[in-house]
Order: sequence, then structure tokens, then C-alpha cells
Amino acid sequence: MKKRLYLELENCIGCRSCLAACTQCGGHEERNRNYVYDVNPLVNRQTMPLMCLHCVNPACARSCPAQAIQVHETGAVLSALVEKCIGCQNCTVACPYGIPKFDTEQNLMYKCDLCIDRTKDGIPPMCASVCPSSTLQWLTDEEIDEKKKQYHLDNGKWVSSMPHLEGETNVKINLPGILQGVTKLF
Amino acid sequence: MQRDKFFKEINNLTHPNEKLIKTHCSYCGMQCGMNLRVNTATNKIIGVEPRYDWPVTVGKMCPKGVTAYQQTNHKDRLLKPLIRDDASLKGTKEGFREASWEEVYDLIAVKFQQLQAEYGKDSLSVFSGVSMTNEKCYLTGKFARVALGTRYIDYNGRFCMSSAAGGFLRSFGVDRGSTLPWTDIHETDCLFIAGSNTSECHPTSMFRVWSVQERGGYLIVADPRETPLARRADVHLDLKPGTDLALANGILHLLIEQGYADQAFIRQHTNGFEETKELVKAFTPDYTSELTGVSVEKIIRAAEIYGKAPNAIVMFARGIEQQHKGVDNVSAYVNLALVTGKIGRPKAGVATFTGQGNGQGGREHGQKADLLPGYRKITNPKHVEEVCEVWGITPEEMPQAGVSAYEMFELMEQKTIRGLYLLCSNPAVSAPHLNFVRRALKNLDFMVCADFYLSESAEFADVILPSVTWSEDEGTVTNLEGRIIKINKAQEPIGESKPDWQMQVELAERLGKGKYFSHLQTAKDVAEEFRRASKGGYADYYGATWDKIDKQDGVFWPCKDETDTGTPHMFLDKKFYHEDGRAKICALPYRPPAEEPDETYPLRLTTGRVVYHYLSGNQTRRIPFLHDMCPEPYVEVHPETASQYHIEHEERVRLFTRRGESVYRVKITEAIRKDTVFVPYHFGHEQSINLLTIDALDPISRMPEFKACAAQIEKLEQKKVQ
Ligand code: SF4
Ligand code: SF4
Ligand code: SF4
Repeated sequence: MKKRLYLELENCIGCRSCLAACTQCGGHEERNRNYVYDVNPLVNRQTMPLMCLHCVNPACARSCPAQAIQVHETGAVLSALVEKCIGCQNCTVACPYGIPKFDTEQNLMYKCDLCIDRTKDGIPPMCASVCPSSTLQWLTDEEIDEKKKQYHLDNGKWVSSMPHLEGETNVKINLPGILQGVTKLF
Repeated sequence: MQRDKFFKEINNLTHPNEKLIKTHCSYCGMQCGMNLRVNTATNKIIGVEPRYDWPVTVGKMCPKGVTAYQQTNHKDRLLKPLIRDDASLKGTKEGFREASWEEVYDLIAVKFQQLQAEYGKDSLSVFSGVSMTNEKCYLTGKFARVALGTRYIDYNGRFCMSSAAGGFLRSFGVDRGSTLPWTDIHETDCLFIAGSNTSECHPTSMFRVWSVQERGGYLIVADPRETPLARRADVHLDLKPGTDLALANGILHLLIEQGYADQAFIRQHTNGFEETKELVKAFTPDYTSELTGVSVEKIIRAAEIYGKAPNAIVMFARGIEQQHKGVDNVSAYVNLALVTGKIGRPKAGVATFTGQGNGQGGREHGQKADLLPGYRKITNPKHVEEVCEVWGITPEEMPQAGVSAYEMFELMEQKTIRGLYLLCSNPAVSAPHLNFVRRALKNLDFMVCADFYLSESAEFADVILPSVTWSEDEGTVTNLEGRIIKINKAQEPIGESKPDWQMQVELAERLGKGKYFSHLQTAKDVAEEFRRASKGGYADYYGATWDKIDKQDGVFWPCKDETDTGTPHMFLDKKFYHEDGRAKICALPYRPPAEEPDETYPLRLTTGRVVYHYLSGNQTRRIPFLHDMCPEPYVEVHPETASQYHIEHEERVRLFTRRGESVYRVKITEAIRKDTVFVPYHFGHEQSINLLTIDALDPISRMPEFKACAAQIEKLEQKKVQ
């Protein structure tokens, strides 16, 4: 059963466990590949993870003159191949979300590979495994459909990678505000 | 065992030449399940892998848990015993030399015996902690009473769980931190969370908390700060620090007035209702609002939601407990559940978020000044007899009750206590009024400290004993639910480090008490004796064998014998543990914080944790990821308050109270009351906020009032521009 990374941004508590866990991935050389932002730090404690959305037609890969960025059969947009990456940094500019990071010492781009050593066998990625707040989840398409129903996609706002994002993505996002659609128990 | 909607069948990723050792996190009371990755060639711990099949946390961990494994083979580990011959260097890191175990044992035995010969048995003391297994906690109590023969033993739970313990004992007659398992939380209809920054201190509870709201349930949060938890609350009761008792009384008054009291439950299962009803009458919404600073509308709304909720859980933590009326605050919140009868069934009850990994188990088995294993009282002759039986001593040989943690420092200052054996704790950071406490430590004639890193407290020691991390020993821990779980050994101790229980056995032998200790050769040996010692007590662990813990995913105490599967839900039969089987509804007059703001000290200072650090920070400050995320303390100030002081974001300011001062970087945020400032407490030396906190103690729990004192901010002199 194919599963996807699904983000429910409303839930984030800013613990950055996802960053810590990312360093634990086998092929990650202890460097984390995602971001967590303080949305408005002088005002409140709202935070949000910014993850690679694994675009179906990824701008980073398209922009790469050396074909260093491969797309795995699962749809995961992989980190640059060491032997191919020429360090031009086109990808870091091309990505609409600023996901690819650059190691100036190694002259090498690195990015989230959706923990490919895990997800290729259906094991959830590290970030979604540890995220204590259910911001990052690893769900089947059926479960994501349930989320869509639960959070009324017809308002055009919740559970949508489209139309707010640049193109179709393998990772699905639920924007903040989901609780407004919840019917209270009493 | 309990498999709920969050549980998913997931295989772990295994790498070649690696094995996974299932265990739990070393840090907070959540005790998240984790697998340690061990390289099978080097037999060293090299990483972490989620433990998806642990029913409480299903693989989730906070950043402390994810990086916890980095403690074991850390470069700062103490690998050999250390001795410092020059006492004038106390309070610094200087002057230590490596020594053999033989030499340090000899030295400690000679010094301890000299002190006791000259000044009496009680000139020695043991200061312990609860971030270690039940077996170690148990043996530490026996070590103090039998090997040293001193009455002075107490532990860092006095800065953590003692108010919760006192409140539960008074209200229920038993102190189990949660009346229900954590797997109930997401199924309740209303969570009333007071004084807990759950999102940072117990982050892996959060997926269950959010799930309540996802189902249409309610979240009520009482906190002076808009924490990530409070940010999403249906009602955020943004009270002044130290006014919780007024708030709880005010809510209780409304519950009764609005007809939410469960009269049948009150009549059949409780005492004290009428008296309490009379007392809380004064706490009208207006009066409550005046005392707490919370708007009348919010108070009314919170009471209405809690009252209407078919099921509700009241939860709290150090915010209400670390006050000089912490025990009263706990009982006042328990009152809400007792008066409305929302207790003694699944999905309804009360719980405290236990702070330390073994904050629950560690307080039950005899490290507390007046307690013996199984939650027995050292002042109860029958209890003493039962324990003497297991220990092989006579009741006459059992020392009297001692004094609480902070009061031990007072006795050190007065030279009543002259020797100290410190383990599993770092009071030179975590105790209140540190200028006094550090002076007291310096004043000791002889101090031993067992730790795996050189902590700020170890800097005061004459001898340092290298202990092991949690991953190099095995034993049980009782998590915040009251569930006894198993910590497994993933690696052999590095260097010459040893588990605390082993040091205590060997030291006891040097002190001529071998016959009471020498049979304890493994952690399992200690576990077997400990189970017997707890048998028949309130906290009965006798039936909680390691086998059963493994098979059942933990065992909830009480668990009396082989056939007993344990007690996930307390009071299902509506029988409480007081003699008459009834719970006590307590009438609790309001008292303000010990130190109220005035002209010279107009601000309210409160302290707490950040998600990246644990307790005194002795462990987490050394972990690169955690250090990078939060390298130093800061003071949170509301923008309006900041503008009154003409201070800016990131500016360094002097923060001071009647007891001490420090310099902190300012963090401006609207997520705090205007009259309140907050500083995290995980930092050492001149950065410790506990230089400023007050040593006002709760009369019952002897818990210091970390959560409220009066403070002032001063802008630093601008450096002259050259
Ligand atoms: S682990 Fe989850 S809650 Fe924590 S920062 Fe990352 S996304 Fe947010
Ligand atoms: S999917 Fe894996 S690589 Fe990508 S951000 Fe999450 S942990 Fe890092
Ligand atoms: S510190 Fe607490 S919440 Fe974090 S991983 Fe460890 S046990 Fe879990």
C-alpha cells in the first residue's frame, strides 16, 4: 500500500524533533535536510515545518544541467548524486520553496530524499516517525481522502497541495486553520 | 496490549552489522519507547531507531530522545574515579587527579567513619535523584539507612514531584501520578491542563492532546504564557503566576453553583464537600478574576465546558506544583474531578505530568526523608518492621525520618551535616536560592559525587565516582502513567564507570556492612529484593516481574502477585485509599505567593523548561544538536514591558531579585503576561536563574516556590564607543 508524507501545519509545536531525526537517517551524514520556521516570533509561538514536497515535476531536477537529481520510482526526488553534481546551485534557486541545501566545502547539493532507504520498503521517514504532534504523518491515499472529507476540502483551503502550490506534489499539505471546520462535541 | 488508533504495524529498518536494543528514553516521565542501534562489531551504541510498537508513544520522540544515545560515548564521560586533595579548589573544575576504585573507596570509608565517630551517625547525608531505575532508587535508600546509618537522605523529587505526591495522598490516600493510562487521553471530551507546557516538557503527549480537539473536544489551558499548547486552547486562562489556587477555587464554585456537582458521587464516595462548598463561595468570578488577572468571561466559559463534558481529564504539572502552596493547588484541581464525579472510570480522571524519567517510581521506594520501600512510612512501626524483615536489621537500627532536600542544605550550612554522598542530581543548578546552596556545599567537610559527567555540583566534590548512563545498565522505571517498564542494557560501561548500585554495594562492604549488601551482584538481584521490599505496601511491585513487564508492555502498579496483571485504571470500584474508602474534597483557603511584586521588584519571575533541555542541563547541554538549538538562557518579556524599560529584542539586561542577579538576553514576545518574565532554568554557574528564585517551601511537600517571585530588570550600562 503506497503511503505518502502528509503535513498538518496547524499541529506544529516547534520542537524540531524532525530536524534532529533527519540527521539519523542512514545516508544523511548527520546533516538535517528540512526546516522549521517561527512564523511570527515576536508575537506568538506558531511554528511550521518546511519540507521537500517531492514535486511530481520537480523544478530542482529540471534545472540541473548535470542530471544529478534523480527521481526514485516511489516519486521521491533524491539528493544530488555525488559523482554528477557540479555545484552550480541552479537547483537551490529553481526550487520554489528553497529546499535544496548546499555544502560549500564539498561543493555539493544535498536535500531531503524522503529517507529513501526507509520509504522504499514502506517504513516511514524519520521525521514523520518521531514528530510528536502529528504535524508530519505517513498515510495511505485512503487515509488522506478521509482527511479531505474531515476537513472539508470544498472550502478550497484545507488539505490541498493545489491550488496554493506551484504544481502537483507527492507530499500533501493541510494548511493552518483546520480546526475551524470541526464540529464541537457539545 | 492496548492498541489504539495511533498504533500501526511497522517494521524497523535494520542495517547490516547492527542490532536493535529496545528500551526507553533516558529523560522525562513520558519514557518514550526507543531502540538503540548497536554496532555488532564494536558493541557500541551508534544511533536510534523509533520503537513503533510502544503503545504509549508509537515511535514518537522529542529532540532530546532522538539524540539521547549521544550521551553514552560522549567525550565528556568520566572514565575513572577522581580525587581532589586541595579543598581550597572546591567550587571549581580544578585540582582533580585520577585514582583507582580501591583508593577512592578507602578514602571515602575513612572520611565517612571519621566524621561519624566525631560528629555522630547523622553527620552524613545522601542527596539523590529519580532519573534512574527503581532498583537504584531503592538501593540508595537502603544504602543511606543501613550502610551509612544516617537519617539524612532526600532527593531531587522535592524540586519536582513532591507537591503532586502530597496532594494525591491527601485527596485520594494514594499517590499514583495518573488515575488512567495515557492511551485514554485522546478519547476524552475535555482536557483541563494547568501549569504544564506540555508541548515542550512532554511533547509526545501532544498527538493525543490535539486529537481531542480534532474530534470536537475541548482544551482548556491555565498558564501565564501562551505556550504552543495554550496557543490552540479553546480557553486560555492566562493567570498571574502563583494564583492557581484562586483559579481552581473559582472554577469549583461555578461548577457547584451551575449544578454540575454529582451529588450521588459526592455522598457515596467523598468527604469534605459542604465545608469546601462554603469556602469557595467567596470565589465569585469577579473576585477570582481580581486575584488571578484572568477575565471573568474566560473563567465562566472554562467552568461551563468542564462541567458539561461527559468525560474530562484534569492534568497539571510543575506550574501549579512548584509553589509554596503546591500541595493545595493539586488538591484544589483534584476537587474539580471529585465534585463532578469525573473520576474512577475510563477517559475521566486526573494526572500529573511527571517530570523526571522515574519521578513516579523514584519517590515510592525509600529515597524520601520519611519513606521506605512500597510507599511505607518510616514513622509507622509496622511499616518499619516489614522493611527490617527484608533488610535483616532490627527496628532499633532503623534511623529516624530526616529532612527535605532544601533543608539538608540548611543543615550543611549549620554544620549539622558534614558529609554528603550526591548522586543522580545537580542541585548546584536545580535548587532555589543558589547563592545559599552553593555556599552550603562548599561548607561540607567531605563530599562525594557520583555522575557520568562533571556536573556543576561535582565541582564541589572531594571525590567523583564515574557512574554509567542509562544505556549501560538495566532495571525498571515507572513512567508518568504509573506503568512499570524495563530499561535494557545496550552497551558495556565505558572506561572504569560503574552503575550506582554496584558502587553502593562495594562501598557498603568497605564500611563493614557487607552482610546486608554482598548478595546483590547484578541489577536483577537488586530487582528481586526490591520487589519483595515493596510487597504489601501501597506501591506494591511484587507482581511486576521483568518477564511480565516484557509480555504486557509494562505493568501498572499496584500489582500484588504473579497472577495480577496490574492496575491501568485507578478507583474503578470507586474505592479510594483512605481508611473509610472515600476521597477527600479539600477546603483550601487562598494564599498569595510568598513574595508579591512591590515598587522595588515590580515584576513576577517564573521559570521553566525548553524542549531542548532536561533538568539542570548537565546532559543535554553537551549534545551538539540541543546545544545549537538553545545554547544559553534568555528572559522572555512582553513588548509593552520592554518598552517601559527601553530594552530591545536580543539586548542583554540585568535581572535581579532579593537573592541574586544574572544577565540575560531579552526575547521579546507577546506570548507572556505584561507583569511576568520567564527564564529557563537549565543553565549553570552565573547563568542559573535559580540564583534568583526564592526558597519559600510548601509546608507539606517542602517544595520550593520556583514558579513565582518578585524581580526587577535593569538596563546594562552602554559600553562607551571608542
Ligand atoms: S517534529 Fe513535528 S512538531 Fe516538531 S518541529 Fe517538526 S513538524 Fe513541528
Ligand atoms: S523525509 Fe527523511 S530526509 Fe526528508 S526531511 Fe524527513 S527525515 Fe529528512
Ligand atoms: S525527553 Fe521525554 S518526551 Fe522527549 S523523547 Fe525523552 S521521554 Fe520522550
